[in-house]
Amino acid sequence: MSDLNLDRRGLLGAGIIGAASFGLGTGASAKNPAPLAPHMTKADYAGAMKAFRGVVGAEWVFGDEEAVAPYAKVYVPDPMNRHVPIGAVCPESVEQVQELVRIANQYKQPLWPVSTGKNMGYGMTAPATPGQVVLDLKRMNRILEVDADLGTCLLEPGVTYQQLKDYLVENNIPLWIDVPTVGPIASPVGNTLDRGVGYTPYGEHFMFQCGMEVVLADGQVMRTGMGSIKGSTAWQAFKWGYGPYLDGLFTQSNFGVVTKMGLWLMPKPPVYKPFMIRHPNMEDTPKIIEAMRPLRVSNLVANCNLMMSASYQLAMFKRRNEIVPDGAPLDEVSLKKAAKANGLGMWNTYFALYGTEQTVGAIEPIIRASLTASGGEVLTAAEMGDNPWFHHHATLMEGGLNLDEIGLLRWRGAGGGLAWFAPVAAARGVEAERQTALAREIVEKWGFDYTAAYAIGWRDLHHILALLFDKSDAEQEKKADSCYRELVTRFGAQGWASYRTGVNSMDLVAQQYGAVNRDFNARIKHAVDPNGILAPGKSGII
Amino acid sequence: MPETDSTGLLRGLLASGAVAAMALAAPAIAGQKLGEPQSIRAPEVIYAKTCGYCHGRNVGPIILGRGLPAESVKYIVRHGQNGMPAFRPTEVKPEELEALAAWVEKSDARKGEHGQ
Repeated sequence: MSDLNLDRRGLLGAGIIGAASFGLGTGASAKNPAPLAPHMTKADYAGAMKAFRGVVGAEWVFGDEEAVAPYAKVYVPDPMNRHVPIGAVCPESVEQVQELVRIANQYKQPLWPVSTGKNMGYGMTAPATPGQVVLDLKRMNRILEVDADLGTCLLEPGVTYQQLKDYLVENNIPLWIDVPTVGPIASPVGNTLDRGVGYTPYGEHFMFQCGMEVVLADGQVMRTGMGSIKGSTAWQAFKWGYGPYLDGLFTQSNFGVVTKMGLWLMPKPPVYKPFMIRHPNMEDTPKIIEAMRPLRVSNLVANCNLMMSASYQLAMFKRRNEIVPDGAPLDEVSLKKAAKANGLGMWNTYFALYGTEQTVGAIEPIIRASLTASGGEVLTAAEMGDNPWFHHHATLMEGGLNLDEIGLLRWRGAGGGLAWFAPVAAARGVEAERQTALAREIVEKWGFDYTAAYAIGWRDLHHILALLFDKSDAEQEKKADSCYRELVTRFGAQGWASYRTGVNSMDLVAQQYGAVNRDFNARIKHAVDPNGILAPGKSGII
Repeated sequence: MPETDSTGLLRGLLASGAVAAMALAAPAIAGQKLGEPQSIRAPEVIYAKTCGYCHGRNVGPIILGRGLPAESVKYIVRHGQNGMPAFRPTEVKPEELEALAAWVEKSDARKGEHGQ
């Protein structure tokens, strides 16, 4: 690691202790005011905020505690109040973003860009390190192009999945969107930049991204792929352009501010048929994965499957004390009983078939045979009716919108605490079995529940564990923080690092990918953003 | 594009019953236009496309028909409460929030809504 890198890490990663704090109006409490970035003075901050007002107008710059409050709400554990922004600025155009970036360089004021800021259990609008002003891009919410023939669109970062869906419906364009679980309020651009996933065959979002416009840290505007060719009609049609493929550099990173993104949209298929496979025992984990993998690798099942544990499912619509008394462990007998009463198994795997009557009719018997042999009951709308869990997944798998998963936040006590833990493995049953055992051991040791699912990708498994806690209980929040760190560390030691993580653990996860990778990222960062003004600490990159 | 080629056939398939169904589902208000930012939304629209996904469904408590004070509604929207996320002035604009909070306070209860 270079000296410069060490220096920047020391400056920006120092945390609250020893950092300058001027109580200039932040999202933190008066007792624990959020600090400025350590290299900044009160005058620097005031100067930057004044200049920001000159660009976007005073009504779109927020600095006092009350105004910053909506930017400070987080679900992730943050017992040290480390992830609190010190302000927010809200541009409405690319030109304003360029101006803001130039001002940030002048005052060395770090900016934390967000699209719609609704990544929920990953940190929402909270920054990874102290002293940052949120660059809130939600006002930039234009749908710039939709091509019904090519199935493409070009969006600004503030567009929500709801806006895009409404536009397609209102204009009778038979294209689907692909949503994460909080689609109505989340951003296609933001989710894709965080390499999020959805549940139709276009669920691997970054794979279906095509072309970006990026404001670089020096204020220049760059377009990737075919976007820089004057007169090209293929910006949203051809991903690769010429030379090194640049788009990936701007995902899960802090090398630029993405102000436009192209996406591919799936044509609405003539036939859509959702399925649920119900397995009765926790021990069925490897059988399910082994049965699903060949169906996924061959693409007979083309969408990302969600294999949901009973506890995760129940936590969406029930409270924990409806199943076991407060303070009691979530034992398997009680869980099985509650699952059965709600039409659920201990594992519930959702996927769908998309195509024509002929193609779906040809594939369905193959799938039924394979999954029945795994010990599962193969269920469809005919059997599940209006079961709310089936309805939830059937909605997601056709790009429909709901916010059902926010119900997870009410699982324990007053709720409000959620951190997603998302380690990756190859899609093999034995790996899932080992992961489940390790996760249960760790979360139960800290007094939490194994509320988890597996997202079965083309060849990979994302183990998605919702660490649910009561954020109004300070002791529980501390335990959740410790539990999360143990999960990251012990899974990492087995070779299972996270594909994505919250602002509470970005540095920790980055460490697991090794010194060479970190140093390479740091060298890029220092070359393209020498003043370190774009999202220091994002993905552990300083 | 000629309708005789394979793409035309596919488009024909795609545009069948689905389009009519989607047209019926379209809200009765003017939508967002290409290249323009979202305009100010009426309280009913914000409720249907944000609040109502949780409140009165399987997730959050019922908020309509309870005479909730508008000032409380505004505070909770901006700060979040327990599991509810906070909504920023860029998401629900100040003038939208004023109208929404007044509308929630005066709203009637809706049959079919259920809280958790």
